[in-house]
This record gives sequence, C-alpha cells and structure tokens, in this order.
Amino acid sequence: MILLDSVTKVYPGDKKPALDNVSLHIEPNDFVFLVGKSGAGKSTLIKMITKEENPSFGKIVVGGIDLDYVKRRHIPHYRRRLGVVFQDFKLLPRRTVYENVAFALEIAGMSGREIRHTVPKVLELVGLSDQANKFPAQLSGGQKQRTAIARSVARQPKILIADEPTANLDPATSSEIIDLLKKINDFGTTILVTTHNRNIVNNLGKRVITLKDGAIVSDQKENGIYRLDGESETLYDSSILKAPGFELTRADISSLEKAKKSAKKPKSKKKVI
Amino acid sequence: MSDSAQKKITKKHLKTLTKNGRTKKLRNASRVVKYGTINFGRNIWLSTAATLVMTLTLIVLSVTLVATVVLSETADAMRDRIDITLFFKPGTGLEVLNEAKDAALALENVKSAEVRTSEEEYENFLKENADNSLLIETLEDPDMDMRSTMISTMQGTLRLKVHDPDNLDSIKTLVASNILFVKNLDPNEEPTYDVNRNEIATITRWARIAKTGGLILSVVFLVISVLVIFNTIRMAIFSRREEIYMMKLVGADRAFIRGPFLVEAQLSGVVSGLLSFGLFYGGFRFLEPRLSRYGINVATISDILDSNRIIYIVLAMVLAGMLIGTLSARLAVHKYMRNTAK
Repeated sequence: MILLDSVTKVYPGDKKPALDNVSLHIEPNDFVFLVGKSGAGKSTLIKMITKEENPSFGKIVVGGIDLDYVKRRHIPHYRRRLGVVFQDFKLLPRRTVYENVAFALEIAGMSGREIRHTVPKVLELVGLSDQANKFPAQLSGGQKQRTAIARSVARQPKILIADEPTANLDPATSSEIIDLLKKINDFGTTILVTTHNRNIVNNLGKRVITLKDGAIVSDQKENGIYRLDGESETLYDSSILKAPGFELTRADISSLEKAKKSAKKPKSKKKVI
Repeated sequence: MSDSAQKKITKKHLKTLTKNGRTKKLRNASRVVKYGTINFGRNIWLSTAATLVMTLTLIVLSVTLVATVVLSETADAMRDRIDITLFFKPGTGLEVLNEAKDAALALENVKSAEVRTSEEEYENFLKENADNSLLIETLEDPDMDMRSTMISTMQGTLRLKVHDPDNLDSIKTLVASNILFVKNLDPNEEPTYDVNRNEIATITRWARIAKTGGLILSVVFLVISVLVIFNTIRMAIFSRREEIYMMKLVGADRAFIRGPFLVEAQLSGVVSGLLSFGLFYGGFRFLEPRLSRYGINVATISDILDSNRIIYIVLAMVLAGMLIGTLSARLAVHKYMRNTAK
C-alpha cells in the first residue's frame, strides 16, 4: 500500500539529511506506528507521503501511484485518496462539526444528497452525532480529534495517516482515539500513526517502525514495542538496545518501566507517556 | 516492478482520479459561489470598504464619460447654431443669392448654405415676433402699407454653416474678392463672423479638460480601488492561511480555494456597480434641469436614461465593477496563495 524505496531527503541549506536512505513497505490493512524522537524524520516522511515535500532521492509509491509522476495539478486528487489527521486537528474554525466533515466531501464533488447521507453515519462512527452543530471552539481536544478523524475517513480512504494524533490529548482520550483508529483499521483501512506515546504503542502490539536521525533503526513487524534507545530520559545503557536485531519483549518492557518509575524522584512522579 | 510498468499503472490511477464530470464541475462552481457569498457577508467591513472605493471609482469614471459627452455635444450644438450671415443689399434677386450660395458651397469649410430673399426675411421676422400682436397688427395694417416698406429695407441673406468656425479665411477671401459678393453685399452691414466664437472656445476647452482630467482622475481611482481590493484579499488570505493550508491538505484544488476570493471581489463589483449607477442616476436627474438652464446639452444622456438603453448603462457599470474586482483579486490570489502550501 505504501512503499518507500531508498528515500533520502535533504532540505535546502541542511548538511544532514532529514531522511537517509529509508526503505519500507506497508501492506494493505496494516496498522503501523512510526516512532522516534523529535527530529528523527517522522514528519518529513509523512510530508513526503502526502506530497507536501518531494524526496531528494528514491521512490515512493502509494496505493499504486508512483509519486514521481504526480504533477502539481494531480496533487489535490491524490490527497483525496488519503485520510490525514494532524496533531493540531486543523479544523475549519468557522464551520460546525457537520460542516467540517461535509467539506471533505464537497471538495470531492459529492452531491448534497450523498453528503447528507454520509456525514451523519461518519459522525456516528466517531461518536459525535450529538455534537454535529457545535463549532470547534466549543469542543474538547478529544472531540476535535474525532472530528478530524471523521473528516479524514468520510471519503473512505484506503490509507489513513495520523501525525501525532494524541500529542495534545490526555491518556484516557488518547487511548479512545487509538481505539477509534483501530476500529477504522478493522474496516480495512491501512493506518500509519506517528507518535511519542509509548503506552499506546506498547499496548497495541502492532507493527512499530523506529526512526532515528532520519534512518530506520528498527522495524518490528508484530507485537512491536517502543524501543527506548534515543530517548533523552532513558535511565538505561542504550548501547545494548542499539545492537542489531535486539528487540525487547513485552515482559522486558514492563519490568524496565517499573524500574524507571521507582528510580524517579517523588516530585517528578509524572506518568510516563 | 519495472519503472515503465509502474508509470503505466500510475497514469491509469491518475486518470481515474482526475476524471471530473460536468455535473461535478457545476456542483463545484456552485459551491465556490456559495462560499464566496458567505465570505462576503462574514467579512462585511472589508467588503464594505472595497465596495465603497470601487463605487467611487465607477462614479468618477461615469462622470468623466458623461461630462465629456455632454460638453462636446454642447460645443457641437453651439457650433451648429453658428450662422455666418452675409447681408445682401435690399432687393437682391433670388438668382444672385443662389449664385452666391453655389460659390460658398464650393468652399471646403462650408457645411450648408441657406438663402433668404428680402420677402422671406420679412416673413421670418413676422414669425419670430408672432407673439407681439401690436407689432404684427401695425405691420400688417393694409392702410399703412408697412409691408412693402419693410421688404424694401430688409436685406437678403446668405446663411452659412461651417465645419470649423476657427478657420474662416476661405470665406473671408471669397467675400472680399468674388465680384458677386463685392457688388451685391450691403456695405452698411458687416458679415457676422464672430458670434459665439468665444463661448464655443470655452466649452470646447472644458470638454477637453473633462476628457483628459477625468481620464487621469479615473486612472488614479482605478489604481486606488485595485490596490484596496488587492489588499483586502491579501489580508483575507493572510488571516485564513491556516485554513487554506488545511484545505490543500485535505485535497481541495486550486479553483476551489481561490474561487471564493474571486467571487467575493466580484460581488463587491456587482454591488458597487448598482450603487454607483443609483448615485449617478439620482445625481444626473437632480442636475439635469440646472444644466439645461445654462444651455448645456444633456439631451443624449437624458434620452438614454429614458429609453430601454438604460439597462446597458447598468450592465456596463456592473461589468466594470466586476472587472476591477476580478483583476485585483486575481493579482492578490496569484501572488499570495502560492506561499501558503504546496
């Protein structure tokens, strides 16, 4: 569904590439987490899939479309095939929840009848039927993200890309959003989520791709967990985690988390997200 | 997969994706109009400012146009009224007068010529004084025989209308050198060469000033209104750049994003077209009797406003407004939309 072949991206003026020779293949109906600390290249990778940026080298194929051949005039049409969810929701502030979702269908040229038929169903799916007439400013963070998800899935895209969808949300709401994404995945949509949220990644047991300094350092196909290497707050010797092929088990990670919690001072007793 | 196979598949996909039926296009166009109209209402203060400046421009444009037409028509009408009248001795026969007329018509500058014998001049005199019953009664009193006395003293005339009243040399030369004129013209009365010449010159000068001054003023206002609308749209794009970016990311095409801005500016154009026509019409109707009293010829414009042709004036003003709106919005959108996102 998504194929990156030796993709490198160097921004003008930068010496270091934002992405360095990245190759990956995401199968249809996959649910994939893309993790890594800030500056690892997650957003660049997403931007290249949404054709906001072009790779300096390498090839990207999404849903059978080689992005090299997607001209400027094709971009809007191409993007309509993708669902995209952002950390800051990017809702139209002067439109209601209903109108925000309807907008995605309007730009695709759907008839008013089709829109009136589709929007309530999508709002029901994301659990916002009773908020349809509210404006984004009247919604909680979770509701805003649900609206954004409703907008992105209204056109029934084959691929949904979520860039840090839980970054601005509390843990409970975050897990609700991930549940929703899982539900959408169950309907057959391929999902690619970038996140910092270790709990979510570790609890879901899906494929996890870890980026560091623009390169893939780990790709755990099943039951993936958020590897701790590269995390600034890590309390452990990260060198063993960097060893090729090293993958932590679920048991390992929970014991590591426990050790980490107990090692912390009382005043920094915040939850490890 | 080989490169060429991938290219083939991609092209096939893109072809399906970009397929846009007529219904879809119409639907999109109607949505663009809808959003443009909504935006016009939402940004009512900016829309009002843009509309007012545009109205001012259209009024200056129309006043310039009308002033030019009215003043040059007034000058033409006055020129038309000019008679260069040559006075022949009383009793000069029609034959002589006709000969003189032919000689005058041979000149390039002479547009038309009319002769009146002494009898005709007398009849004309009666007609002109028809409301003076005492005079008419006295003149026509058979006992007093004033008629023949009058005719014997009245000069026959040759009245000439010319193309260019500023260049009468050829006529003067004819009058001074042609034996027919030298012999038969009344030496006691000089031909009238200079009647109204100064007034005509003044009106012509005003017409010229109205034309060039108005044109300059129109251009200035045109530039101002384009700048105001340009900035209005630029501000709107700037304040909505996040929104525009978001629209692009969810797949709105350029026409869908730019369209409402154009519609907004065109709506300003339509409103200002109608508004400026209303103001122009009211102003003209108010000034019309006053201008006529000063001998300014407002008939042509008045006729247009009284006939069905008024609709063309309205349309022209609305179209001019839309044109100004479209031009400035296109400039702003072209310049600033590109920077919001790919």
